[in-house]
Amino acid sequence: MSERRIRGVGLGLRWEFLEEVLDGPALDIAFFEVSPENYMRRGGYYPAALERIGERYPIVTHGLTLSLGSADDPDPSFVRDLSVELDRLDTPWHSDHLSFTSAGETVLHELFPLPFDEASVRRVSDRVRRLTDELRRPVALENITYYAHFGARTMSEAEFISRVVESSGAPLLLDVNNVYVNAQNFGFDPRRHLAELPLDRVIEVHVAGHAKQASGLILDNHGTPVASPVFELLEWTLERTGPVPVLLERDNDVPELAALLEEIRALRTVYERAVGCSKKAETGAHASA
Amino acid sequence: MAELVLGRESPEGPVAVNAWLARHGVSGGDAEAVRREAARLSVYRGLVRGRLREAVEIAIPRTRTRLGALFDEYFARYLAERGPRSHYLRDVTTEFLEFVAPLVAGDPRVPPWALDLARHEALDIFVGSLADAPKAGVLPELDPDRGLAFSATARVARYAFAVHRLSEDPGDTSEPESSPTALFVYRSPEHDVRYLEVTPLAAVLLERLLSGETLREALEHATRELGVPLDGAVLDGAARVLSDLAERGAVVGAREGGSTTVRT
Repeated sequence: MSERRIRGVGLGLRWEFLEEVLDGPALDIAFFEVSPENYMRRGGYYPAALERIGERYPIVTHGLTLSLGSADDPDPSFVRDLSVELDRLDTPWHSDHLSFTSAGETVLHELFPLPFDEASVRRVSDRVRRLTDELRRPVALENITYYAHFGARTMSEAEFISRVVESSGAPLLLDVNNVYVNAQNFGFDPRRHLAELPLDRVIEVHVAGHAKQASGLILDNHGTPVASPVFELLEWTLERTGPVPVLLERDNDVPELAALLEEIRALRTVYERAVGCSKKAETGAHASA
Repeated sequence: MAELVLGRESPEGPVAVNAWLARHGVSGGDAEAVRREAARLSVYRGLVRGRLREAVEIAIPRTRTRLGALFDEYFARYLAERGPRSHYLRDVTTEFLEFVAPLVAGDPRVPPWALDLARHEALDIFVGSLADAPKAGVLPELDPDRGLAFSATARVARYAFAVHRLSEDPGDTSEPESSPTALFVYRSPEHDVRYLEVTPLAAVLLERLLSGETLREALEHATRELGVPLDGAVLDGAARVLSDLAERGAVVGAREGGSTTVRT
């Protein structure tokens, strides 16, 4: 795979506006991100549509079910199918979550947090190194939103993420909305948390909306516009990472494409202002394999 | 974890943390961490169950409407006793129906048409997503000693009730009439899932051809099973059906190699 750079603001491709993207004029969107599980090991309309979109826009993949932190390794047949799909889409890197989504034979289809401990660091790092070889491209790790801890912690979340990134050699997909939501739910300073992360390893940034429940808990629901504090965190982050690609995720209550394009314009303003300030503006996001 | 989020509600509350910790031998700091945030475990229970339920409700909305609380009961049982095994959310409905099929057969509370309707509704996503590259329909010269190649999406669906005639309105709660039904189902080259009601004779013929029999074998089996003579009318009718299916892209050529004989 030749070295390719993706910069600017992209959008998570959703079926709600797929036809508009397919049939409409070229959009001012730097790239589209897709979850390969929605397109792989199947035929029909959606993979055919994605192939056409891939002819017009860069595609980056973001997986949901590799379950990098599970006790058991991913199903080899799933990894083989995933590898075929990533080749088909020619994605420069693949990302998945620093979490587990399977328990034994059961696929839970939700992101569960790992204990922030040395055993998890080793398990995830070993697995990511192997998957990087099997998938023949960088496997980026995304920090998740969590609402509870399923075991004793022996290190902070920032230390845990840093240790996994360092040990695995994987790039980091930094979701600043997740940082904000966790900071609100667990009472820590999001900027201090971000400053403790290996920002020089960030390959992509995610932003999304969240919603406060009656209980006071904030859910990362991807169902509302990006909140102002998240815009501020994004700018702070980009000033330090340089021009890595930024992705807007919207999975629930998906509005008209025009509304999402408006949100992308606002994100691009922040992006350009931050990158203009960045000392790493010449670095850019890239992947080579 | 699967047990905590998919299991039945217990007297201890929706998240039976203490029992779970004891069963799995979790103690010390790990147990304390889980207990401290036990209330928030229910957030995960809601997220997982909501996502899986939505996947099934999208696939079989009219079955869901008609069964109401019975659907809820069986869906909870599926989550607690089996749970999803596939990486693909689109597979959850098929897994759910495979799990409930033997259970509802013996449950007098479940209407006799319920499984037919659920299976019929589920075909839209199932056939719509089957792995098969679109091919042009081709009707080869009909050779009695060769079989036919079909689109990999083609199949015959059989029901005891005319569920395909029900309104598409998700709010409709009418019941289907009892009527043996056979539908030929396939995905068109334009990616649409199509349903064709076929006669009993055509249904057997197509099932036989789909199983790999030669045209001669399929015709002989179909006419014997239906008790009709294999005459010119049957041959003409078969040729018309196959020609129509080729035009639709469901028959894509002659079958290569030997046949797979199905004994009756």
